[in-house]
This record gives sequence, structure tokens and C-alpha cells, in this order.
Amino acid sequence: MTARLVGRLDTPASQEAAVKIQPLLDHADKTIVMDCTELSYISSSGLRLFLTLRKACAAKGGKVVLHAINNDIRQVFTMTGLLSLFVVEDA
Amino acid sequence: MKKTLVLSNDIRQIPELAAFVEALAEELSLNPAEAMSLNLALEEAVTNVMMYAYPAGVTGQVELEVDALPGRLVFELSDSGVPFDPTAAPDADISLGVEERPIGGLGIFLVRQIMDSVEYARRGGKNILTLTKKLT
Repeated sequence: MTARLVGRLDTPASQEAAVKIQPLLDHADKTIVMDCTELSYISSSGLRLFLTLRKACAAKGGKVVLHAINNDIRQVFTMTGLLSLFVVEDA
Repeated sequence: MKKTLVLSNDIRQIPELAAFVEALAEELSLNPAEAMSLNLALEEAVTNVMMYAYPAGVTGQVELEVDALPGRLVFELSDSGVPFDPTAAPDADISLGVEERPIGGLGIFLVRQIMDSVEYARRGGKNILTLTKKLT
């Protein structure tokens, strides 16, 4: 299953997205690809969504792939020690 | 140069903060990576105030003033909410594995990582958070 993220995942956008990730959580036993090609910004509330998904996958045996994250966003994942929890796939 | 942004405690106003930082970055010719990290740290600090300074249902102001000095930017974030020192929170432990990682606590951690200094004071019935960023 692939989810495409577009634009800025700031606090208000993450609050909206939080109610939409249920279909992804239902697939937590499989591979979930987060297509970040068009993701331009992420704040801690956005990171929280990724971590929620990653925790669900850890519990059910699936995995989360970060596809095509840009350098700035990679830096945020690195700074918070989250990058190593995900499979990172280049574009 | 000093600039001020006044918001209410409504998360939906966060895009106005992003526009404020973007205009500041343009004026000071900051590189895109610097602008993004400033935006991130300020969003985390402002969000924290918006969510926790005022009781639920109470409208309050969040004021951000920036002072552009030679070689550094000094941000002063103030609110008239309940006394709250975000610098008192322990740092997030980023070495924990996926099961042990708490979902929250990354906001103030990012503020500390990005800014060169973070200081809290309670003055005149206000919470005042002073954030300094050295410019390269």
C-alpha cells in the first residue's frame, strides 16, 4: 500500500492527516510505502504520524518505507533519531 | 531590525507563522536549509504555547518578536497564559527502539537542537521564551 504525501506536514495538516491514516493502520501487517516525493516540510506532529504507523507495523509485522525524502526532511528524521526506525528508499 | 507577529491560540494560524519566517528569511538572505530549520523550531515553540498556555475554550494571544542583530537572531515568544516552563522538560531519549519510543516530546527537543540558546522567564504575568540562533 502506498500513501502519497504532498506539501507541508505542519501541525494543522498533521491533525487533519491523523484522522485519515486509519486505512494505513489497517495494513500494518504489510509493507506501507510513504511516498515523500512531494513532501516539502515536516514538524514534530508529522513525525508523530510516522511513528504511530511504525509502531503499528512493529506490533503486526509490517514495515514502513520512506520513499524519496528530500535532504531537509531526512535531516529532521536524523536529528530526532527516527531515521533508523524506517526503511529508506531513494527516488 | 525588529518584526512582530501576533497570533491567537489557534493552530490553524500556523501557516501565518510560516509566511512570517519566509519573509524574514528572504530579507536576511538565509539559505533554504536555515530557513526551514528556523521555521521548524519556531513552529514547535509556538504550537506548544497555542496548545498549553491557555485553558481549553479560552482565547489568548501569542506574540513573537524577532530582533535581527549582527550575526544572530533573537526571538522572544510571549503569552499571558498559565506559568509554564518548556525548558524544564527532560530531553527526549532518541536512542530508544520503536516499541519504547514515546509518541510525544519531540517538539521542545527540536527547538533545543536547532536554536543555540533557549531561555524561559516569567515576567509581568507573561511566559517569555527567548530563543537565539547564530547566523553562519
